[in-house]
Amino acid sequence: MILPAVIATAGLVLYPLLFTLGVSFTNWHLFFPGVQFVGFETWSHTLQSDFLPQVARNTVVFVLGTVPAQYLCGLIVALALSNVKRGRAFFRVYFLVPLMISPVAVAYVMGSMMLNETVGPVNEVLRLLSLPRVPWLSDPNWAMFSLIMIDVWHWSSFMILVLLAGLQSLPQEIYDSAKVDGANSWQTFWTLTFPLLVPFSVTAILLRLISAFKVLDIIKVVTNGGPGRSTESLTMTVIDTGVRGGDLAYGAVMAYVLLVLMLTFSGIFMLVTRRWVTSAQGGEERRNAI
Amino acid sequence: MPFRSNRTRQRLSDVLVYGVLVAWSLIIFFPLYWLVITAFKGPLSTNSGATFIPWVDFTPELRGWDYIFGDNRDVVMKPFLNSVVVSLSSALGALLIGSMAGYALARFPFRLGPLSNDGIALTFMGVRMFPAAVLVIPLLIMYRELGLLDTRVGLIIAYWSFGVPFVVWMMRDFFRSLPVEIEESALIDGCTRLGVLRDIALPLARPGLIAVFILLMIDAWNEYTLAVTFAFTDAVTIPLFLQQQNDLQLGTQWWNMSAIALLSLLPIVASGLVLERYITRGLTFGAIKG
Repeated sequence: MILPAVIATAGLVLYPLLFTLGVSFTNWHLFFPGVQFVGFETWSHTLQSDFLPQVARNTVVFVLGTVPAQYLCGLIVALALSNVKRGRAFFRVYFLVPLMISPVAVAYVMGSMMLNETVGPVNEVLRLLSLPRVPWLSDPNWAMFSLIMIDVWHWSSFMILVLLAGLQSLPQEIYDSAKVDGANSWQTFWTLTFPLLVPFSVTAILLRLISAFKVLDIIKVVTNGGPGRSTESLTMTVIDTGVRGGDLAYGAVMAYVLLVLMLTFSGIFMLVTRRWVTSAQGGEERRNAI
Repeated sequence: MPFRSNRTRQRLSDVLVYGVLVAWSLIIFFPLYWLVITAFKGPLSTNSGATFIPWVDFTPELRGWDYIFGDNRDVVMKPFLNSVVVSLSSALGALLIGSMAGYALARFPFRLGPLSNDGIALTFMGVRMFPAAVLVIPLLIMYRELGLLDTRVGLIIAYWSFGVPFVVWMMRDFFRSLPVEIEESALIDGCTRLGVLRDIALPLARPGLIAVFILLMIDAWNEYTLAVTFAFTDAVTIPLFLQQQNDLQLGTQWWNMSAIALLSLLPIVASGLVLERYITRGLTFGAIKG
């Protein structure tokens, strides 16, 4: 019974994974005949190019710009949502809507239309307030900022959902006893809620971290990597140059650079947070013991 | 410590809570609103500057909808049909393959090298995290050989790469939460294992199956990276179609684009809102367990 799933997963993921590694040691190009094993040649070419650091930096900037902002928005809204007395069901369902919309549609509405520099509503509002127009998409730094903003709009909902589930799973009694001890809500948050929420925070952040590294769709729609190549992500290079451009070996190296970056960042994140997760669980056990 | 009556404090926290929720609601609302009104605009109300309120600063028109349902109907409907076929079949296939494995992993002890059941399930989950960039090159080569490029079948199979591991992981937990006793007594009564799965376990796991199915549908409906790699003309899905239109007519025919975008997210958001409780359950379950 387990066999079909193993075959599907091995054939569609594990085998391609190794195959890509193999391709990265060749000079395979779809449009030029003759595939040769070239050892580390493609790797050293790619790693020495000026282009790789730029694209890798773009990707990391995007990840570090989006995930913490999403977590912050998600935490604030989830806290509000868990304290609300009326209308919680409505807000919860309503905040789910962004998660169901395709990134391409979101990118189109926010990037192409709303942030349009000449006829978009955002610059129009700025004009009415007599503020200067912002070059949302034509300036490299603003373009990256716009992409981050769009992604935050789209995915904060995911954080809200997971953190709200976490908040609702916390036992009510400890809050009652904290109140008896005279703790104010600020103290309660930092000494009780936040530490107990750590396991949920870690999982939610980890999942978003991994997805953010893979970003392609919104960049493709909003800036197509531009201006210049200032917003091109690693996945975009793999697809555009590696697959569309036929330079398979180069694409394979870039794909592995992405994989290594992603694993390094999530590995560091897991190492750093592991202590907190276990101490949160330890706290829970201590509480259960009492 | 300055004394504040409980009531004042309560009112203050209510203001804060609702303030946050209303602010976030507006942030979510504006892009959606902009999409809807632009779908009912024409050149007059877009090209000379932003207009905000129908019947006040612009007159609604049906140009975009004429475009979709008029002469261009076949052009627009093809990607819709592709998306429906691809997301339904890939979700159903992944559900079939994955839930068998999930059931097996929940009920029988397995060994795969150093891995026991928990390890195997974790491996499935880990596999789902790999970026599509490391998979596309070998799949492209395989698809070229097999003639699967630019076909719906090709996309359906490619989507199993993230669908199947997800189902295995989720359904294993759902099956584990079901009582074993019913199944055991059915086995004693002479029912076969497959019979038990079909007549007892699957019906009992229906909420889980629905949750997983919806999430798979949404993922496949909105997927972009694999679609842009493997589909060009015949198998183009909605996100891809939308992006191609965006590149072709940027800044000129927004009403057409918006009508298409709106039409593309309506079915998934409508069904999502109806089945909201399953989505919430699936998302938080998957995230927290993951």
